[in-house]
Amino acid sequence: MEVRLEDLSKIFVGRKGEEVAAVDHMSFTIPDGKLVGLLGPSGCGKSTTLYMIAGLHKPTNGRIWFGDADVTNVPPENRGIGLVFHNYALYPHMTVRQNIMFPLLNVRPKLEKAEMENIAQEMANLVDIGRLLDRKPKELSGGQQQRVAIARALSKRPQVLLLDEPLSNLDARLRLQTREEIKRIQRETGITTIFVTHDQEEAMSISDEIVVMRKGVVQQIDEPQKVYDEPKNLFVAKFLGSPAINILDGEMIDGKVYVNGELFEKGFKSKGEFNFNDEGIFHIAVEQGYLGTLDQYNQAIQAIEGLDIKKIYGVVSANGYKKDLEDFDEAVGALRAAQKVNRPVKVAVRPEAFSLTKTESGIIHIDVLFIEHIGRDISVVGTVSGMKTKVRIIIPSEYRQEVKDSKISFFARRFFIFETSGERIK
Amino acid sequence: MNQIKHLFKRDKAVVEAAGTPEVAKTVDFTRGPLKIKQARFNLPIWAKAWISLIPAMIFLLAFMIYPIINTTIISFMENFAWQRGAGSFAFSNFFQQLENSLNPDLLTPVTAPKISLKNYISVFTDRDFQNSVVNTVILVLVSVPLTIGISLVLAVLLNSIKKLQGLYQTIFFLPYVTNSIALGMVFNVMFSASDGGLMNQFLSIFGLDPRAWIYAAQGATKFTMGVAITVSTVWNGLAFKILVFMSGLASIDKQYYDAARIDGTPRGRIFAKITVPLLSPQILYITITSFIGAFKAYSGIIAIFGQGATNYGGGAGKAWMTIVGYIYNFRDLKLPYAAAGSVILLLLILLITLVQFQVSKRRVHY
Repeated sequence: MEVRLEDLSKIFVGRKGEEVAAVDHMSFTIPDGKLVGLLGPSGCGKSTTLYMIAGLHKPTNGRIWFGDADVTNVPPENRGIGLVFHNYALYPHMTVRQNIMFPLLNVRPKLEKAEMENIAQEMANLVDIGRLLDRKPKELSGGQQQRVAIARALSKRPQVLLLDEPLSNLDARLRLQTREEIKRIQRETGITTIFVTHDQEEAMSISDEIVVMRKGVVQQIDEPQKVYDEPKNLFVAKFLGSPAINILDGEMIDGKVYVNGELFEKGFKSKGEFNFNDEGIFHIAVEQGYLGTLDQYNQAIQAIEGLDIKKIYGVVSANGYKKDLEDFDEAVGALRAAQKVNRPVKVAVRPEAFSLTKTESGIIHIDVLFIEHIGRDISVVGTVSGMKTKVRIIIPSEYRQEVKDSKISFFARRFFIFETSGERIK
Repeated sequence: MNQIKHLFKRDKAVVEAAGTPEVAKTVDFTRGPLKIKQARFNLPIWAKAWISLIPAMIFLLAFMIYPIINTTIISFMENFAWQRGAGSFAFSNFFQQLENSLNPDLLTPVTAPKISLKNYISVFTDRDFQNSVVNTVILVLVSVPLTIGISLVLAVLLNSIKKLQGLYQTIFFLPYVTNSIALGMVFNVMFSASDGGLMNQFLSIFGLDPRAWIYAAQGATKFTMGVAITVSTVWNGLAFKILVFMSGLASIDKQYYDAARIDGTPRGRIFAKITVPLLSPQILYITITSFIGAFKAYSGIIAIFGQGATNYGGGAGKAWMTIVGYIYNFRDLKLPYAAAGSVILLLLILLITLVQFQVSKRRVHY
C-alpha cells in the first residue's frame, strides 16, 4: 500500500497557549512495499507523523492517503495498519499467544479459536518466537518482546506496518540483530513499513529510503547512500555520518572558495551550478506580478524534475508573472552574478574524505590533539592551524607510520560547500 | 555568531546560553579527592533502623500489641472479678484475684478465677451474637462488592473525562473527609418516612408509595432498614476507593489503550481484559481493606438510627446489631464476653484476609 502525505501539519497548543508546529506542511510519498525510515533528532516531529499515519493523532491540516483512499478521517482500527509501540505495550497479564491473538478477537466475521491460534503460531514462527507462546512478556528478553510486538502488529494482516523507535530499547548487539530481522520480516511479508528513529546508522542500514526531518519539516527524502553522499543542506550533512562531518569556515572570493587561505574550489560558473531553489527567484517573480505565496512557489518548484530557468518561468508565468522568458532570464542572471559576491561559506568534509597523498584538492594543516587507534582505522583529532575549528579525520590504519607528527597536512578529496544559512552550493 | 543565529533562528536562546562564563581555576586534581562529611555515630544500618522505629514501636506496643494480648487473656478468664479500670492488667489481676480467693482472712470471700473456654461457649450460644454475625456477613456480602463495582466504574468514567475532572474528583472525595455520624444523620433525613424524604421522592418517580425506612414504629422492616444502611455504607465507602482506583488508572501506560484502539477493541473488552487485570493490585488492596472495614461496621449503623450508641434497630430491638455492636454492648456488663467477641472477630478477619491472599495469587498481576 502506497502511503501519501499531503501538506500534513500538526499543531500542538502548549500550556501557555502558544502554538508549536510539530509537523509543518509535510508532503511525501512512501512507495508500496518499501521500508522507509523517518529520521531526525528528538522533537523533530517524526513520531507525531507516525501516529498521524496510525490515526492516533488527528492532523491539524492536510490529508493522508493509503493508495487511492483518503484515510484522514478514518479511525485507526479501520486503516489496516499494525503499530509497534516504543515500549512494545505488550499486555503484561497475557501470554504471548493471548497477546498475538488479542487483535483477532475483534475481527468480523468472527474467527474460530483454532483459526486464531493458528495465526498466532504462524506469526510467532515468522518472527522466530514460535516456542515462546505460553510465556508472559516479562519472562522474555527485550529482543523477544520486540518480536512479540511485531507479531501482534502483523496478526491482522496490516497493509502498512508502523514501528516507533523499534530498536532504541535494545542493547547494541541485539540492535544489530533485530534490525536485520525487521528487514527480513519486511522482505518476507512485503508490507509497506515505516519506522521512526533518531539513530542515523539504524536508518541508513535497513531503509530503502530515508526521510530526514528537522523541526517538523522534511529536509531530504532519498536512498540512504544518496542522502549521505549528496546532502541537500548543512543540517542533513551534519546529522548523517558518525563520526560527524567536519564543518570548516570558508570564504567565497570572486567565485573561488578558500579555507584558511587555501584554495578549495577554483570557481563557480554560475550557469549549471546555480541554485534554482534560491528564494531570490521568487522575489523577482513577485516583483513582476506572480501571485502565489512562497509556500506555493516552493511546492511547485520542488515538484519539477531537472529544474531549469524555463521550467521555473513556466510556473511563475502561469500564475501572474507578466514579463517574457528573456526578461526573466536576465533578472535571474543578475541574481546569479550577485551570488558570486564575496561572502563566508561553510565547507563540509566527511572524516573519511581526507587523504595524505597530495591531490589537486584543498589542503588543511592540522595541529594534532590526539590520535585514536580503533583497529581498522586511525582517527586523528586536531584543530585546523590558525583556526579554532576542531576536526576529526579517519584514515586507514596502514598509514599509521605517517601520522606521528604534531602537525599533519591532509587533502580533502571530497567536500560540500554550503551557504552559512545552510543551503547547499556545491 | 550572527550567521549561526540566522541558521538556527529558533535555537537563538540555546546558542546564547551556550557561551560559557570564564572562572578562576581552583580545581587541582593532584590534591586528591574532596572529603565527604563523616557520620558522627557509625552505627550499622539495622541499628539505625531500629532506633528510628522506637517511637512508633512504643505506641504500637502500648495501644495495639498489648491490648490484643490483654484482651485475649481476659477472654479466657472465668469468674473474672471485673470492675471499671481493673481490666487493664489482666494477667496481674488474675493472680491478685487468685491470691485473694485463697485468703481466708478477707471479709467478703472472692471466687477463684479459672482459665476456661466458658466465655467463648457463652458467646457462641448467645442468640444476639449469632444474629450479629449473620447481620455482619449480610452487610459485608452486599456492600463490599457493590462499593467496589460502583467505585471502579466511576473511577474509569472519571478518568475518561477531561473537563472538570478535578471538580468531580473533589466532589466524590468529600464523603471521605466527612464524619460518619454526620453522614448517618444525612441519610436518616434522606430516608425519612414522610413523602418529602429524598428516597420516597425518588420512588414516587416510578409511581411507588412513600414508605417508612428506618423506624419500626412507622412501619419499617428489617429489610428497609438494611437498604438504608447499605446505601449509606456504599456511598460512604466510594470516596477512598475511587481515589485509589484513579491513582491506579493513572499509572497504567496509555500505550496499552492506544494498542487496543488500533485493534478496534470495544470498550467493554478493554475494561474487562485490560483495565481490570492491570488494576488488580489496587482491586486486591481495596477488597481486603473493604472486607476488614465492613466486618468492623458499627458507627454507620447507629448513626442512621440516631437514637444512641446501642440502638441497632430503630425501635426493633437489636435487628441490625453487628459484631462490633455486640462487643460494645458488653463493654460494661460482662467484659470477658466482649473480649471473646473481639478475639473471634479478629480471627474471622484474619482468616478471610488469608483466603483472599491465596485466591489473589492466581488473579493479581503485579
